[in-house]
Amino acid sequence: MLDTDESENEYLKRFSHWKLTVFTLTSTLILAIVFSLNVGFAPIRFFTVLRIIANQIPLLSSFVDSSSIPHVEETIIIQIRMPRILASALVGAALAAAGVLYQGIFKNPMADPYVLGVSAGAAVGASIAIVLGVDISLFGLGALQFLSFICSLITIFIVYNISRVGSKVPITTLLLSGIAVSIFLSAIVTVMKVIAGERLHAVVFWLMGGFSYVEWKDVGAVLPLICLGIAAAYSFARDLNILSLGEETAQYLGVEVEKVKKTLLISGSLITAAAVSISGLIGFIGLIIPHITRILIGPDHRILLPASTIVGAMFLVICDAIARVIVSPAELPVGVITALSGGPFFIYLLRKKKEGYAV
Amino acid sequence: MENKHFIQIITAIIISLIVSAAAFHLYYQGRIGELESSIKTLREEVTELNNELSKYKILTLVDDQGYVLNLTSYPNRIVSLAPSNTEILFAVGAGDKVVGVTDYCDYPYNFSAWIEAGNMTSIGSYWNPSIEPIVALNPDLILASPASEKAANRLRSMGYNVLMLDPKNINDVLQDIILVGRATGHDVEASILVGTMRERIDCVINTLRNATFRPKVYFEVWNDPLMSAGPGTWINELIKLAGGVNIFENATSQWPVVSSESIIQQNPDIIILPSSHGAGPPFWGSFDRVKSRPGWDAISAIKNDRLYVINGDIIARPGPRIVDALETLAKIIHPEMF
Repeated sequence: MLDTDESENEYLKRFSHWKLTVFTLTSTLILAIVFSLNVGFAPIRFFTVLRIIANQIPLLSSFVDSSSIPHVEETIIIQIRMPRILASALVGAALAAAGVLYQGIFKNPMADPYVLGVSAGAAVGASIAIVLGVDISLFGLGALQFLSFICSLITIFIVYNISRVGSKVPITTLLLSGIAVSIFLSAIVTVMKVIAGERLHAVVFWLMGGFSYVEWKDVGAVLPLICLGIAAAYSFARDLNILSLGEETAQYLGVEVEKVKKTLLISGSLITAAAVSISGLIGFIGLIIPHITRILIGPDHRILLPASTIVGAMFLVICDAIARVIVSPAELPVGVITALSGGPFFIYLLRKKKEGYAV
Repeated sequence: MENKHFIQIITAIIISLIVSAAAFHLYYQGRIGELESSIKTLREEVTELNNELSKYKILTLVDDQGYVLNLTSYPNRIVSLAPSNTEILFAVGAGDKVVGVTDYCDYPYNFSAWIEAGNMTSIGSYWNPSIEPIVALNPDLILASPASEKAANRLRSMGYNVLMLDPKNINDVLQDIILVGRATGHDVEASILVGTMRERIDCVINTLRNATFRPKVYFEVWNDPLMSAGPGTWINELIKLAGGVNIFENATSQWPVVSSESIIQQNPDIIILPSSHGAGPPFWGSFDRVKSRPGWDAISAIKNDRLYVINGDIIARPGPRIVDALETLAKIIHPEMF
């Protein structure tokens, strides 16, 4: 609808440009994953890594002499590095996509995936699981992941209903109630920390976020949710563009504002909750990656959303690789790396593009 | 003519000899080959039988969290995920099988020097160690602690032999030493060690039997915030065994954060501070700084100058040196009896 002034030709040109962008970014993501697979405590040669991976692919495996692959190296690549890298890619993608959605819906550059209290809710769930020592497994997820997922969804449900006025959800009320509920829940987490005793370090470790103990089943459990959520959000990319003109204008232009908002809030919350449940709280990505991508390729949500998703995945994969090796054999919390590396880069971009920048 | 005939006969004999020798050689070569191959099959059968047999020679262990571990042979590549575990392994004589330790392990040897020299591998931190360095060592036994519980669960699910040592009291520590002895095939050394430890503990208890007075003890685990040891910790148990009363023995948590006021009100007779290495000053400063805390001049321990330092490692690690800690504590609390 916005494209009425735009000629068909111009749109097609832009679209092919977008395809090129997505293709380039995806290739870089794959390169980042391959790089990350080769990085770690154990020195495993590039060729061996390739053979181990080829051995896992049904058609290629017949060409690989599997008996010459050391068992330890195979375990490290397949059971330790692979799930870790895929999980960091998924979480990075989810947080960046959710960041784009929230910044778009709230028309606020400060919005991030945690603005509605997802993080605080998840933290309450996780600390309950840790402190009370809940030891159950549900839907392929451990108690910790499951409780943090459920608690963050409950939190969003509460925040949404607090701010609902009739059939409408005013953005300002939503932001404020999100902040208020977050503060309330953080206090509960503090109480849990005080009574945690010797389990305190486990709570603190979870709050810092990271992928140290990610398993294949964690990746499998959140993969469908994150993919579906991002796909659903993408189908509303055009509506997000129109929403940026203001809710009233969007309404006049035929967008069912409340319905779009609700769908986007739900998908954003789902993917954030899913991501947080396996990674703990990783800050910065959801806030900064959308901004970086916006500066680099513009504010059109039809390209901003997929591009941010890929950039987020790539960024977190690389940050996790750095976190794994920089103080090897120990590890740094990945959130430290994201903030240390992303912060200065973002400031640089911001300074370079001094002439006005709007979400 | 006769001569020619003779040569023919000789040639025939030689040829037949050569042919028969060759035939015999080939025959025996074949026999030897056959024998060799049958020996080979026998050998294979024996190894197969041995493997089969070892399946029944299972050493079954139950660790402190109830996980059952079946060992088919004694471990040759052990990774220790806690300083106390390393101390136990070396004390029972399994030290030569240890291939990986944490950065915190410093007893009985200077492991950081070993690591630099390439004789030992560091697996990193004691809190939440990362998986890859452990797996890279290809261990056949991993001794974990509650601080590495997540890593232990992950490694167990990958099929590694994990033994979790999670002692809650001194008796548990002694049992853990026996457990590690059994797991490593050093049962005898372990039971001798535990026997001596029990003897030393009994000696302290017997000496203190006649003690009429049980001084009140404040053990400061940390100074900011003030933190002490509560019920369910071995520090609490050691103070009790050493003839003292821990002023926070009825605290609500194991490592309670306590207020300055509650310490003044409890009025301990003795204040004990841990040092980080050896018997130096307390790791956050000097006795004078403790004495000058506001209101603390009213505490009996400060009035009588009964502040002591104890090696933080021996009292914090549930390993063989826990008895050293008990003896040191007993001498601090009841100097008149030792």
